[in-house]
Amino acid sequence: MSKKMVCFCQDLTDADIVRAIKEGYDHLETLKRFTGAFMGPCQGKMCAANVVKLYAETTGHPVEDLRIPTMRPPVEPISLGSLAPEKGGDDDA
Amino acid sequence: MRRSYDVIIIGGGVQGLSLAYNLALRKAGKIAVFDKSYIGSGASGRNGEMIRSAFGSEEWIRFFDTSLRLWETLSEELDFNVMFTRCGYLVLAATNDELVTFRKLTRLQKALGLDTRLLSQEEVIEWIPAINPKMAAGGILQPGGGFARHDAVVWAYEKAARRMNVRIKPHTEVKDIVIDNNSVTGVMTTAGKISAGMVVNAAGGHARQIAAMAGIDLPTDVYRLEMLATEPLKPFLPWAVSSPHTLSYMHQTTRGEFVGGAEIEHLKPAKNLRSTGAAIQDMAGKFVRLFPGLGKVNLMRQWAGIVDMAPDASPILGPATGLESFVLDCGWVYGFVGAPAAGSLLADYIVSGEIPRNIRPFHINRFKEGKPIRDLSLVVPTKSTP
Ligand SMILES: Cc1cc2nc3c(=O)[nH]c(=O)nc-3n(C[C@H](O)[C@H](O)[C@H](O)COP(=O)(O)OP(=O)(O)OC[C@H]3O[C@@H](n4cnc5c(N)ncnc54)[C@H](O)[C@@H]3O)c2cc1C
Ligand code: FES
Repeated sequence: MSKKMVCFCQDLTDADIVRAIKEGYDHLETLKRFTGAFMGPCQGKMCAANVVKLYAETTGHPVEDLRIPTMRPPVEPISLGSLAPEKGGDDDA
Repeated sequence: MRRSYDVIIIGGGVQGLSLAYNLALRKAGKIAVFDKSYIGSGASGRNGEMIRSAFGSEEWIRFFDTSLRLWETLSEELDFNVMFTRCGYLVLAATNDELVTFRKLTRLQKALGLDTRLLSQEEVIEWIPAINPKMAAGGILQPGGGFARHDAVVWAYEKAARRMNVRIKPHTEVKDIVIDNNSVTGVMTTAGKISAGMVVNAAGGHARQIAAMAGIDLPTDVYRLEMLATEPLKPFLPWAVSSPHTLSYMHQTTRGEFVGGAEIEHLKPAKNLRSTGAAIQDMAGKFVRLFPGLGKVNLMRQWAGIVDMAPDASPILGPATGLESFVLDCGWVYGFVGAPAAGSLLADYIVSGEIPRNIRPFHINRFKEGKPIRDLSLVVPTKSTP
């Protein structure tokens, strides 16, 4: 099979995805967990369409029936500092 | 599909799979595991991955050290790399009072044969320069602890069990438990009725519902625990770290992501899996307080999982009282590190009928007998410890 890049963050090719499905990681959630697709710094924003299409072609599940792994918050990168409450609390306890 | 098994396990998480594997190893007959979703969909694929036996009570230490020994050779045993990184595990003391308690705990740990030692504030800072000195009064270091990859552990047990002919059925929900003459004889599933010589409740966050189907009232409540992962960073955290003072735990993955979770002090029973704003603020606040440098670091993702927790936060293991052929493997809060020992010791019980010593204290009768377990080193709030 050709080697096309499908997930850029995790350096995954179409062959990697198909091999993982054939090895038994044949649920979108287990495929995500095994390959790391959807889990790089972009959290799947760049690769979801590629991976889901390839998954549908390989497994024969129609794309419409698939539940794309939950997009984890946050949608845009945000620092821990801006999420933390203003006052530190008991750090000099 | 077969309609009859010797043992049916409800729940394809790390607990159910470890037990299935260990039963097959002991040639306990025909074994099946049912899960309502995909394998590893519960807390087993959502946890903090942290591994230690340096706990604060004799019961916990004996049990979890049995597990730690099994972890050491788990990849070889299962012929699958579970990525156990034995980098060491630090239980961090934030105050001098806490350090005094920890000193006593290390004595107990040593007496029970553990390799742990008390670190001073200077030693902690020397090893973790990024830590806020005000949050680090010292700690207990267990060099043999660390973390492993949760999904890999699930798959390792799943594959090993399948190789030994365990039937593993995802997307098959147990709807009811069949009881005849005070004895469990099978389960009703979305694929019909299936009979069994013995049924095990390893349903994780849903264990209470499963027990109720058998008329057993577990003294547990469901809690949602949350975690986050940051963008990859240069290595700065040499150990897995838990901080009982802030009820938080964390480690840095081999990819560099800082991964951690925290519980708010007054955890309320919850049911859904949605990440919440309150939890993320609590976690971010605690992690920035522990490591001020994390303030500038971006959050990458956040997720949640559920556990069904007893008032003493200890697992409930062994036969149910007053009902034959129904075994409990639930109430887990540290069920990832505990899986190798629980699977092995519960399989010993199922095969021999004798409850092994190291799981005896975790029997459900402890609540009725007024003997909850007290452990002072946990990062979840318990109702029985001060
Ligand atoms: C955020 C978080 C962090 C954690 N950190 C740690 C840690 O660092 N170290 C540690 O040791 N532990 C940790 N834990 C706890 C640990 O994850 C759990 O104790 C452990 O995974 C429990 O495994 P289990 O197999 O019992 O449950 P689960 O993995 O939840 O599996 C139960 C399974 O039962 C299935 N099920 C439920 N109802 C039914 C039904 N009716 N029919 C069929 N199947 C059903 C579910 O689909 C699920 O797959 C953490 C947990 C969470 C949520
Ligand atoms: S491209 Fe796949 S996670 Fe970013």
